[in-house]
Parts: sequence; structure tokens; C-alpha cells
Amino acid sequence: MTPLVETRNLTKHFGGIHAVERVSCTLHAGEVVGLLGHNGAGKSTFIKVLSGVYPADEGEILVKGEPREFDSPAEAREAGIETIYQSLALAENLDAPANLFLGRELLTPWRTLDSDRMEHEAAKVISRINPNFTDIGKPVRDMSGGQRQTVAIARALYFNARILIMDEPCAALGPGETRMVQDTIRRLKDEGIGIFLISHDMADVFEVCDRVTVMKNGAVVDTVNVADVTEEDVLAMIILGEKRGGRA
Amino acid sequence: MSDRKHIAAGLALAALAFSQGALAAGELVGVSWSNFQEERWKRDQLAIQQALRAAGARYISADAQGSNEKQLADVEALITKGATVLIILAQDANAVLPAVNRAKEAGIPVLAYDRLIEDAGVLYLTFDNVEVGRMQARAVQAVKPRGNYVFIKGSPTDPNANFLAGGQREVLKPAIDKGDIRIVGEQYTEGWSPEVAQKNMEQILTRNNNKVDAVVASNDGTAGGVVAALRAQNMVGVPVSGQDGDIAALNRVAKGEQTVTVWKDARELGKAAGAFAAQLAKGKKPADIPGARTWNAGPHKLAISSVFLKPVAITRDNLKLVIDAGWATKEQVCYGVPAATAPPACK
Amino acid sequence: MRHWLEKAGFDPRFTSLVLALALIWAALALATDGLFLTPRNLYNLSIQTCVTAIMACGMVYLIVARQIDLSVGSQIAFTGMVIAFVQVTWLGPQAPFAWLLSIALGLAAGMALGAFQGFWTAYRGLPAFLVTLAGFLMFRGAAFLVADGQTLAPLADAYQRIGGGVHGSLGPTGSWVLGGIACAWIVAQALYARRSRKRYDAAMAPAWADALKALVTCAAVLAFVAVMCAYPDPGSGTGKGIGFPVLILAAVAIVLAVVATRTRFGRHVFAYGGNPEAAFLSGLRTRRVVMSLFILMGALSALAAVITTSRLNSGTHSIGQMAELYVIAATVIGGTSFAGGIGTIPGAIVGALLIQTLDNGMVLMDVSSAKRQIFIGLILIAAVWLDTFYNRRLAR
Repeated sequence: MTPLVETRNLTKHFGGIHAVERVSCTLHAGEVVGLLGHNGAGKSTFIKVLSGVYPADEGEILVKGEPREFDSPAEAREAGIETIYQSLALAENLDAPANLFLGRELLTPWRTLDSDRMEHEAAKVISRINPNFTDIGKPVRDMSGGQRQTVAIARALYFNARILIMDEPCAALGPGETRMVQDTIRRLKDEGIGIFLISHDMADVFEVCDRVTVMKNGAVVDTVNVADVTEEDVLAMIILGEKRGGRA
Repeated sequence: MSDRKHIAAGLALAALAFSQGALAAGELVGVSWSNFQEERWKRDQLAIQQALRAAGARYISADAQGSNEKQLADVEALITKGATVLIILAQDANAVLPAVNRAKEAGIPVLAYDRLIEDAGVLYLTFDNVEVGRMQARAVQAVKPRGNYVFIKGSPTDPNANFLAGGQREVLKPAIDKGDIRIVGEQYTEGWSPEVAQKNMEQILTRNNNKVDAVVASNDGTAGGVVAALRAQNMVGVPVSGQDGDIAALNRVAKGEQTVTVWKDARELGKAAGAFAAQLAKGKKPADIPGARTWNAGPHKLAISSVFLKPVAITRDNLKLVIDAGWATKEQVCYGVPAATAPPACK
Repeated sequence: MRHWLEKAGFDPRFTSLVLALALIWAALALATDGLFLTPRNLYNLSIQTCVTAIMACGMVYLIVARQIDLSVGSQIAFTGMVIAFVQVTWLGPQAPFAWLLSIALGLAAGMALGAFQGFWTAYRGLPAFLVTLAGFLMFRGAAFLVADGQTLAPLADAYQRIGGGVHGSLGPTGSWVLGGIACAWIVAQALYARRSRKRYDAAMAPAWADALKALVTCAAVLAFVAVMCAYPDPGSGTGKGIGFPVLILAAVAIVLAVVATRTRFGRHVFAYGGNPEAAFLSGLRTRRVVMSLFILMGALSALAAVITTSRLNSGTHSIGQMAELYVIAATVIGGTSFAGGIGTIPGAIVGALLIQTLDNGMVLMDVSSAKRQIFIGLILIAAVWLDTFYNRRLAR
């Protein structure tokens, strides 16, 4: 089965810093792949390359088997890749519909913003994820962490992303909201969406991920199935940078 | 002596010879402008430079761009560059005193140009600004001896504004005391700005329901603002005074929109400044400058050696003076003047 | 109370600003025996406000986008000199349509200044504060150089009408027609908005609230027209009606308000101000947005210069002194936040009106310039404090 996303030897340098070094990995439809590693391991840079923020220096990105190059975030979105950043990339002063449609606003025949339609559509998507979140007309700064996360996910869903990248989605959430996000992730999996998930929380990882790719110093240490390993094995891979079962 | 000492002595001798040569080239006169951007100072500069050349002296200058701090720095820089006498157009009469003290410490004489610097050691060269004020008031009073008067004064931070106002008041005092003249409006104009003058005049006209018979404005810029406010009320022709001999003002005088502009031929002032500066540099004392007298009517009542030049009141009758003096062309002065009401100079 | 206001569709911040203005007007009316509220003075006030208000509309956009422009006063001076130069020196004031060409060139000059500043800020990443501070110095110097410091006057006859002086207004018929059109548009807007929300079964304010809002706005417009028409033109004798500078302001304000609240561009400006990174990651062309804002500001400064030079009937390089302070103050009083992402056009206009009211009223009261400056500063602080205090209390 062709992977949804495949990277081959993806490389990105910043001057003398090898942020991403020959990273090869895959993501299939309906699976969640965790991206793990220390701070500075290259996870954030890797997903930024995938989402078009940085151009790759070397290597390939294949979407559904076809090689793609992204010169801007807009191009990555066109290819069906939606990214939910750790900071959520939401404008605090705007409300949920405005953020959802940011850059892709719906217009009336007079080329003005069709605010009512956007509000209607946003409400539909958001209720799919979190039926309790109804007051979507208030500015984001007045929303809870979970509600903001919902808006960010809704943005990805509305535009029919097939590939979702989530950077620490539960980092700022309480246990109830974390569970809600995990349920959402599972539902998305069922719909056939592929998800790259960056997380520090080992329990979180083992809860939702199917496979994990561990990175260290910009390179991939190994990719393993979650079912085949324990948390200690993965920790060892992160800290020592060695494949499971001793040196590579 | 060793080789090194030979070279050092040789260099010292050369330096001495070189500096003697520099001295022989003439005095170096430093000019500190307060804000060169205002309209008239270019003419002053030209006149100063010509006078200096005639006296065999050289000219360097700096522009403080309206800042007291920069003027202090400018004066220090001019001293460093070797100026042997300074001509200072003070941005602020009090704030400039530290700069004057620097010059005094360095033994450099200072000529206070046009604006007062209250220091007993300077030579104060200016047009008699009080006389300018008197001329403005006289010209307006001649046209309108009785009625409601408005005073549009200059910038509150410029001592000249008060000298002018003083002269104006002095001339009009008898009529005010008698009751012939009533003052119905009086405002300073920040930065001598025409916009501010226009706004203030609009409000004064409103307050008095247009019952204004004459406006004593302190310079041509503010007079322009006053005339604009009068025009909006269809009241052009009310006597208005001014100062500086701006081309636009001369045109207004020709058209009858402004009564008088007191002309201070900046070239005369510059010429005198250049000549006096050269003399001061050669060691003459301020009190010994031809035409200087002791004057102590400043705010602090210090006795200062001063030379006062006489201004000329330009009305529609003697416009020819400015044209003949090459200050403005006939075309400029007479632009748009209808033949029926043209003044003598435009016929 | 705030809740009630919001339900009725009134922005509480704007309302408290208008209330503060009304209080000041009442106080000034008392202090001047009613002279402040005469049609003549209100007409003058409307003209005097236009220059600051027009530029404040542009400054709202800039400050919302986390930028600033400290050079607007100098922009007025330079573009004003360009306009005067074209009319007086180059073509001569009697040349037909010299004044139209001068306005076009003035606008072009203003936009060029804006583009210059926008380039260094948006495309080279220099802080707007520094770039526009440099502009503040440079453009004033350039203004001096246009005519070597001379005042250029007089300007074309037709041009003089733009400033709102004699024959410088719309007249009673035109003004009432315009007022009528404005009211019709207000009502149509309200109806259309309700219909649009009904289509999506969206929650909306109760009908009485929308009706009240439309009624109040219409009443304000018609009252304004009535007052303007009550002041007879010194030249013609008939009522003056709306002054041309006010028409220019109205056009600018309406266009910019619509763009801010109803277009993609406006949405992107606010998004960028709220979170520049989010805007970038959402694919917005952020550099272009910032560049256009500076160019817009340049054009508005040129418009302000048109009004100023027309009023003065001359071009001098000293116009616009201190304008940047008043414009920024008006914008901030009107509710725009330096943190970015928040601001309204109507607020900025009321802010400009508030500042100009104080100046106008105080000269009417014959207060000296030094005392005026102190009072205006104090009252401005009080106005902003009252407004923040009021909103913070209601937020609880």
C-alpha cells in the first residue's frame, strides 16, 4: 500500500547546524506515527519542512507516491497536509470561524467576507469534534486550551486534510481535555487520515500511536511498532540514540 | 641628537611653518544656525559669506535643526574645528548660554545674530525688533485708528515674539487707554505655524461674531494663516500686519489683503555680521565695534553691547523698494493683482 | 449594562467614548455660554478635525498591524509642497486643471514615501519605529528643498474650495440628499444583515435592538446635516451644508471601515496584528500586507496635505508639525491597542474629534496656549483612564 507520506533522506541545514539529517520515514492512511526525541532532535524542523515553511536542502517528499516540493505553507496545504503547531497558530483577537478560514475565507458575490456562512460551516465542523463547544463567536483569547485545540483541529478537518501533523497537542491540556483530543485522534484514524504526532508524554504516545520514529541530533535512530516495544525501550532509544537491542 | 630626535624636531618645525601658513590665510568664522530650514536664513548666509570673503576670512557652519542640545554640540564642534569667532543664531536665549560659556572659556568672541543671547560679553546684532513691532502697529493703526483689535503673536518660546508684542503694545497704548481700541483676542502661535494661526483666528472670529476690525500679526507666516481665516468669512481687506518680506506676503500687500510687511533686509544683517565677526576675530572688543551701544532692556536687564539695524515698513505705497533692491521681482510681487486696484509699483 | 449594550449591538468602548465626548461638549457649551455649540463653530470644528481624522484612519491599520508611522507630519509637509509646486511654480495656478494634476502628483508622492518606508520595514525587517523616525527627518528636509524654504502662494481658485472655506461646502440640497442616502443605506444594511443571518438560522440581536441602532445612527447623521445647513455661507448666504473636507473624510472612513471589517484584506491585517506567526503559517502574504499599509498611510497624508494647503491657500514646508502626535493620540484614544490586533475606524475619528474639541473650545474660551497644552494633556489622560476603568469594571 502506497504510504500517504514518505520522506527519503530529507535534509535541512542552517549554516553549520544539521537540523534534519537524511531522515527517511513513512506514514500510512489510518495510522498514527509518533515523532519522539529530545529538544533539538530535529522534530520541529522536520515537520516545518513537511509543511512548507522551510524548503528541503536535500532529499524527497512523496505524497501518495508522487514527489512534491513545497515553496510555502499554502502549497503544503494544497497537497492535503495540515499542521497544528504547538502554539496552535491562532490569532487571539479573532474568533473561531475567522481563524478556521484564515487565508481561505469564504466570500459573498460582492467579494466581501461571508461571515454568516463561515460561522455556519465552522459550527458544523466543530460540533463534530466537540459537541459541547457552541459559543464559537468569542475571540480565541477567551477560550480554554481544549477549545483552542478544537479550533485548530477543526481547521484541518474542514479543508479535508488527509495528512495531519500535530505538535504536542496535549501539552497544555488537563486530563479531561487530553482524553477528548485522544478520542478525536482515534476517530480521525478511523476516517483514514494519517497523523504525525510529536509528543513528550510517553503515556500519550503509547495510547494513540501505532508506530514511533525516534530522532536524535537530526537523524532517525529507528522506527518501531508500538506493540513490539515497552516505554523503557523507547526511552533508551531517545536518550542513548541506539536501536532497540543494542548498537545498530 | 639621535636620528629619532632629528625627525621629531624636523616634524615640529614643519608643523609650525604649516600652521603659520594657515593663520596667514585669514580668520575662521563659525556660524551656528538654530534652524536653517526656515525660509529667510539662506539670504542671511549668502550675505555673511560675501562679507567674510571681502574681509579675507573663511566660513564654516552647522545647523541645530531646532534642537538646543544639538546647538551646544554644534558650537563645540565649530570650536574644535578652529573657529576664531562665532556667530550664533540662538534656538533658545537661555538654553544657548552653556554654549556661549564654552566659547568664552576658549577665548572665542561671540556675535549674537538676530536673536538675543543674554550674556554681557557678546555683541548683539539685530534689527530693532521692538521697532519692528512699533512699525507693524503704526501701519495698522493708520488704516484703522478705532475698533476691535486682535493680536496674533509669535512663538511663546521665542523672545523676539515678546519684543514685537511689546513694541506693538507701546504704540497702541494711548488709543487703548482712551478706549478707541479694544483688544478682543490675543494668542501666541506655537512654532510660528500658519496652521495654528489660522485655527486660532477662526475661533477668535467666532467668539466675536466677526466683529474684528484689525489684526496685528507678528510675521508673514502667521499673517497668511490670519488672511486665510478672514477669507473663509469673506472678510479679506481687514488690516493685517506682518514681518519678513516673504514673497507671498508682498503679493498680499499688492493685492490689499495685507497692510504691511516689515522688511528686514537680511542681506544687510548678514553683511554687518560678517564684517563685525572679522573685526572681533582680530581682537576688537564688542564695545568698540562701530555703531555699538550699551543696551539693557532684555529680560534679565544685563548690559550688552548691541548694534540695531533699522527695518523698513513695506506697504502698498513703497513696494518698489523691494523690487529695486532685488529682493523680489515685479512678476512675483504683482502676480494676480487686478489692474483697477493695482498699487503704484505694479502699474 | 455592558451586556445590554452588547446585545443591542453597541460596542461598549465606542459608546463610552462618545459619552465622554458628549460630556466635554456640554462642559464647553456651559463655559462659552453656548457659543461652542453654534452651527458656525461646529462647522469649523468639523473642518478642523478632518486632517487629523483622515490620517488617524490610516494609523489604525498600521497600529493594528503592530507597526507605527512617526513621519506623517513630515509627509504632509512634503506632499503639500509638491502640490503647491505644481500649481504655483510649474504650471501656474491659472492653468486649467492644474489643481487636479497637482492632487494626483501629491498622492503619488505620498504613496512613494509610504512605499519607501514600507520597503525597509516589510521587506528588510527594520523596525517601523526607526524607519519612520528617519522618514520624519528626511521628508521634512525634502519639503524644505522643494522651494528652498519659500512659501508658495497663491494656489488655484478652484482648489481653494476644497478646504471648506467660502463656497467650500455641499450646500443645503446636496447635504440633505446625501443625508437621505446615508440613512437609506444604514437601514438597508441592517435589513440585509438580518436576512443574511436568518438564512443560516444564526443567533441574532433582537429586532428592537437593531432598529434602535439604525435609528440612533440615522438621527445622528440627520442632526449633523441639519447643523451644517444652519450655518450660512459668508459668500453665498445660503446654508453651508457639509464641508468638502468632511466629505473627503466620510469617503475615506467608509471605505476603510468596510475594508477593515468586511474584506479579506482587512481580516488579514487584523490576523497579522493578532499573531504575525499564525498569519504567516496560514499562508498570508504578510510582507505585502505591511507594505500596502504604509502606502495607504502615504496616500492619506497626501489627502490631509490637500486639505491643509487648500485651507491656507499656500504651501509652506512647516505644515504638519506635531501632526504625528495628535494622529497617534487620536487612534489610541479611539481604542486601538499598541499590542496589535484591535482597533476601529469610528473610534479613531471620535478620538480625533475629542482632541480637536479641546483645542477649539479652549481658544474659544480665550485660554492661553501654555495653559491649553496643560489642560489638553490632563483631559486626555482622564479620558483614556475613564474609558479603561469603565470597561474593566463592566468586564467583571
